[in-house]
Amino acid sequence: MIKHLPHFLSLFGMLFAGFTGLVLFSYDKNFQLSIAVATAAGYVAWGVVHHILHKDFHFEIFLEYLAVAILGLTIIFSLIIRS
Amino acid sequence: MSALKLLKHLFIPHESNNQKARILHPISLGLIAMFLIGFQLILSLGYTSFPKVLGYAANISPGEVIRLTNVQRAANGLASLTENTILDSAALAKGNDMLAKGYWAHFAPDGTSPWSFFINFGYKYQYAGENLARDFSDAGSAVNAWMASPTHKENILNPHYKEVGIGVVEGSLAGADTTIIVQFFGTALSGAPSIPLAEAKEVAVSSPAPAMTVVIASPTSVSKSISSPFAFTKNLSLGIVGLLLLVLSIDLIVVRRKRIARIGGRTLAHIAYLGMILAVILILKAGQII
Repeated sequence: MIKHLPHFLSLFGMLFAGFTGLVLFSYDKNFQLSIAVATAAGYVAWGVVHHILHKDFHFEIFLEYLAVAILGLTIIFSLIIRS
Repeated sequence: MSALKLLKHLFIPHESNNQKARILHPISLGLIAMFLIGFQLILSLGYTSFPKVLGYAANISPGEVIRLTNVQRAANGLASLTENTILDSAALAKGNDMLAKGYWAHFAPDGTSPWSFFINFGYKYQYAGENLARDFSDAGSAVNAWMASPTHKENILNPHYKEVGIGVVEGSLAGADTTIIVQFFGTALSGAPSIPLAEAKEVAVSSPAPAMTVVIASPTSVSKSISSPFAFTKNLSLGIVGLLLLVLSIDLIVVRRKRIARIGGRTLAHIAYLGMILAVILILKAGQII
């Protein structure tokens, strides 16, 4: 974790920005959905870039980040649309 | 495979699952996402077929909406609004009109404006405004949502308004059980021409499917205690994300202790992302405003 600290700080910052956006724009569902998509896409992009920089990128890793992002998006979409 | 081995296979890094809990494999995560989508489809079907079981849980008191509105005005140094029974009746009529004609908007599909309800009930206004909310479980959540929206907040904190009326109606809108709050602001005419001063930003009219049943609520309080589809979705999501976070935490510990080398994403990154999703699940509340 310590050797990846700069990378993780950028990830935490991005996730915090996404969370803050979802809270601040609670009155605009379409914008909330856009923020959720942007955060999920950023998360997958972070995973790809992080593993490429550490020279351990494999397609299976991309699929893993993508699956986690899709699951998170499904949950957020379900809740925002139902709310 | 015994139950214990199956649990280990599903939730703990082991030789049988290639040193990664089976539930964390991309295919398993994809299946969970598909299950959630299927659950939403089933919920929508159930919502349509059994609206009395899967309806919306609400406990809205018009008096509480007015009290909380005045709390916000007082916090901003503004005078309290006085409840006007004519505005109450006009707001109630607007709510019932939305249910009867099946629309969710400031203006009815036939062009009826919010201001016509003021006039029809004999309230000649100098200034007038309207806020709408639906599907909130309590008055506080609705007022908080209005305060979070710049246009609705502008209405609540408008110094030109002197009076307020609240209508809370419960019924079926486009096939879904709902509770609508109509908040009318006004200042009675005293010689000046009538001006609709502020209105919350209008959005596209929702599908104008006619309401199948309409239950007119009394202006006192609307309260029922059935579970909403939102609550079902929220609880299921909490369960799934909580389970995945637990399995990821176990994965993090086991992999470090056993110094397992494997090809895979960063467990801490997944924990961070799903942690954010968990926080979002916890803060999201039901309800819409226009």
